[in-house]
Amino acid sequence: MYRVEGKIISEIASYFAPPIKQLLLGLDEHYFNRLEEIRLRCQQPLLLKSGDRDITITSSGRPAEDLNSGYVVTREDIQRSLASISDNSLYAFEEEIKRGFITIPGGHRVGLAGQAVINGGQIKTIKNFSSLCFRIARQVPDCALPLIPYIAPRGVPVSSLLISPPRCGKTTLLRDLARILSTGRPNLPARNVAVIDERSELAGCYLGIPQLDVGTRTDVLDACPKAEGMMMAIRSLSPQVVITDEIGRAEDVTAIRECLNAGVAVIASVHARNVKELENRPLMQDLMKLKAFQSGITLSRRIHPGNIEEIVRWQA
Amino acid sequence: MLWLKTLGIVMVMTGFGSWGLNQARRIRQRVEQLKNLRLALNFLQKEITYIHTPLPQALKRTEQFSVYPVSVLFQEVACSLGERQGNTAREAWRKGMHKLSSHSELSRADLELLATLGYQIGMSDASEQERVLLMVQEELKILEEEALKACESGQKLWSYTGFVLGAVVVLLLI
Repeated sequence: MYRVEGKIISEIASYFAPPIKQLLLGLDEHYFNRLEEIRLRCQQPLLLKSGDRDITITSSGRPAEDLNSGYVVTREDIQRSLASISDNSLYAFEEEIKRGFITIPGGHRVGLAGQAVINGGQIKTIKNFSSLCFRIARQVPDCALPLIPYIAPRGVPVSSLLISPPRCGKTTLLRDLARILSTGRPNLPARNVAVIDERSELAGCYLGIPQLDVGTRTDVLDACPKAEGMMMAIRSLSPQVVITDEIGRAEDVTAIRECLNAGVAVIASVHARNVKELENRPLMQDLMKLKAFQSGITLSRRIHPGNIEEIVRWQA
Repeated sequence: MLWLKTLGIVMVMTGFGSWGLNQARRIRQRVEQLKNLRLALNFLQKEITYIHTPLPQALKRTEQFSVYPVSVLFQEVACSLGERQGNTAREAWRKGMHKLSSHSELSRADLELLATLGYQIGMSDASEQERVLLMVQEELKILEEEALKACESGQKLWSYTGFVLGAVVVLLLI
């Protein structure tokens, strides 16, 4: 399912501390083909997550499955990497640090962990950083094509839910859906799409500009809370489709209702193992009462990420 | 032989006099440089805390705002960070300080104060950056006032000392 994207490593390598950068650049390109995460944890081996496989790199630059033989990440490596990611300007990333991640050019996200500083019950910042998680943003063009007959039957998008546990490819599919729906295809007229990207994952915006292809008629509300973003979009961007990731709060239900009343199709993802588990949730029961979604697509990574397990049609 | 003696006296007097005048100039310049440094840090503080400009750009703009030799510090630090070779702001600041010390008349105490900024610059939130930059500016103000007092008395002293020493040497040689 994944394409070979050798340039990804050259894109992100400069954000690592020099010793780790050297190790990564010395690794054969095929190790990066399915790379999902690179994890730096203080006093722990460097870890590369590729599919369901974890590998490390030894100090001499050899890839190894025995994590104990791997290069041990130091606090200095974390500090140097953080300095590169933030351009030595943590003050310019206060909001991002509060949210726990920084997006770098290319749309890749760096998750942060360390000691939280609390002020008035709210996270003010994070200090004494102890681990960094580089999550590789990938585009898989046309990966959402198999979903189009269910999401846009007869060429008209209907409100749909992508249901799956984490790491099953929901975000990649949503991104490609945005691209396909806003660009159009034969028998699928192009639509105005609004992407509400609360966690900067769908479009991978860097300084507000999408780094990943989300289509020609797509507006992105980056780092915007979902409910507010949906309301803002229908007020000012006249979308025909709203796409958002991981709905789950009560205010999301209200915003989805507003979208439906405005005649806008909502395509969203939600965490659950299957439809049955989802239907037992109070939030989903509210959405069912509203008849908000017409199709539900359950995904897994049984064969590959984004594997379609089940398609449910709810009555409109 | 008289012309040789006269030439010797002139050379000794000129040499010692220039040395004294140079010392007086250095004292005067230190005051000026401390003031320029404080103003530059104030500019940098605004770039960081109000505009949240990333550090390399903020330093570049501070370099353009400041005057020589203070600009040397910001130029060197911005250049070092711009190389993107995994340098931290602390290392870049140290490099800049090294260059500044060879171009300026700042004393060891001035440079030690400035070096403390290297431990903090860039790597905390905006309110913490503001606090640190304000603290260094206040300390610089104190150093500047002390330098000004030293300049008022020392400038004349050094100007005359050179020529007096020259005269003493001439008398001893004669």
